[in-house]
Amino acid sequence: MKDKKLHLKRLMFSIASLVDLGQEATSSKDLMSKMKAALFVITGTLSVPTAALFVYQPKRHELDLVVAKGHRDIDAEAIRLGATAIQVKQFRMNDPHTFRDLSANSFFEQNKTVLTNLQARIFLPLFAKGTFVGAITLGKKIGGAPYRQGEKDVLRVIAHQMAITLHNAHLFLELSKKATENRRLYRNMQRIYNDTIQAFAAAIDAKDGYTKDHSYRVASYSVAIAKELGWKKKDIEGIYVAGLLHDIGKIIIDTGLIRKGEKLTAGEINEIRKHPEISYDILSKVKFPWKDIDNFVRHHHERMDGKGYPDALMSRELSEGVKILSLADAFDAMTTDRPYRHKLGLDRTFQEFIECCGTQFDEKITGTFFNLLLRELSGEVMELQILPLLNNGDEGYLADGGTVART
Amino acid sequence: MSNFSLSSRSSGDIAVMMPKGYINDIAAECLEQENEQFLGHGMKKLVVNFSDVKFINTIGLSVFLGMMQKTLENNSILCFTNMKKDHQAIFEIAGLIKHVKVFKDEKDAFIYLDGRP
Repeated sequence: MKDKKLHLKRLMFSIASLVDLGQEATSSKDLMSKMKAALFVITGTLSVPTAALFVYQPKRHELDLVVAKGHRDIDAEAIRLGATAIQVKQFRMNDPHTFRDLSANSFFEQNKTVLTNLQARIFLPLFAKGTFVGAITLGKKIGGAPYRQGEKDVLRVIAHQMAITLHNAHLFLELSKKATENRRLYRNMQRIYNDTIQAFAAAIDAKDGYTKDHSYRVASYSVAIAKELGWKKKDIEGIYVAGLLHDIGKIIIDTGLIRKGEKLTAGEINEIRKHPEISYDILSKVKFPWKDIDNFVRHHHERMDGKGYPDALMSRELSEGVKILSLADAFDAMTTDRPYRHKLGLDRTFQEFIECCGTQFDEKITGTFFNLLLRELSGEVMELQILPLLNNGDEGYLADGGTVART
Repeated sequence: MSNFSLSSRSSGDIAVMMPKGYINDIAAECLEQENEQFLGHGMKKLVVNFSDVKFINTIGLSVFLGMMQKTLENNSILCFTNMKKDHQAIFEIAGLIKHVKVFKDEKDAFIYLDGRP
């Protein structure tokens, strides 16, 4: 009766130990802390003061010590056990081996010194899904008592659980490595993508010395407005790209026409006015990660009163992105020198926008942009987005004169 | 955050360690380290007062096992006091109780240890 009671108590204790181990194995701790806690559970369960946990490195055919209990001043880095594929094949999966069990395996002879130094009595090879992932060595029990059969049974269950934990940790590490590599590749691709877009923008602007950096400035003004309106980061990226590429259609327009200083004929105006549609035709074939790029560029010469081109759309039919791009494009055209006129001063530009607000330009977008510009001029804003782009001319942005902008 | 803390004191040639809270995490390893420090300073009479210990699991047992092993190696005496029934039961089931001296309280442990060399 007393023996039965003791047996039952031991059984309950073993179950409690396995619960402890399960909790540690599935905890959110880092792998090392998890492994250490698991080793403590094992030593506490079996009353073994010394134990060590090794992880198998299949490429090197070695077991590396990762955590030990009860070994003073141990140099974990220096402790390794060699284990060839043939030796590993001779291990009984997740089964505790005594040194007698190992005597026929050259693994024992090869690692005898290390195993002796670790005071190992039991070698427990860990296998997950048939793959050797590590091992645990256990020293003699306190007081020198032998390992009972029941304890060896518990060790088998522990071995399964530890092996799965190690295996999962290995898979997680591999996944993390791949995720890091993917992130690096993505960043590279993003850089190449951005560089390509910048190169296109430079090619567009190179058609005409007067419009040098026009695309960049339109993109930057558009971003400034979008930020003021609280656009999401991804959409701001989109309007920036639309700004860089909005005039891509000009690439196939006759350079002489673009650079012409004199007044254009009706036919020439019609020819130049084809560029938003050409831009659309080019960009609609590109699968951008941002939405509406092609739509933005197609309509950047539309007006609120429906008198724009190419589709003569009314204000309600135009997206906010189109309205932003349209304003940014016109503002840059007015504030930079063109072959047919000098740039306008800011006071004249203000006046133009006031006059055209509601007919050519959207009121909300105009208000937002000029409000920001005024805040920059009055020094209210620390991070300047518009003024640095305006101040690139040798005459300064307050110079005035010329005729209405041709963008 | 760990629910474990440790305080200790020495009285003559006797060192007393008072763990508090849950001994179920590797944070309790400091108890083993404290024990080693006392042994390192030549103190061979060690007392663990369990009055503020709420729970012990197998990780805790492993910590105490390490302490027992070190005291055995150093020919020292490890005493447990103020143990609740469930504390004592877990040490009994694990077969560890025979490696320590168990007393009702510190006073009894001190009487026993004072009579030892």
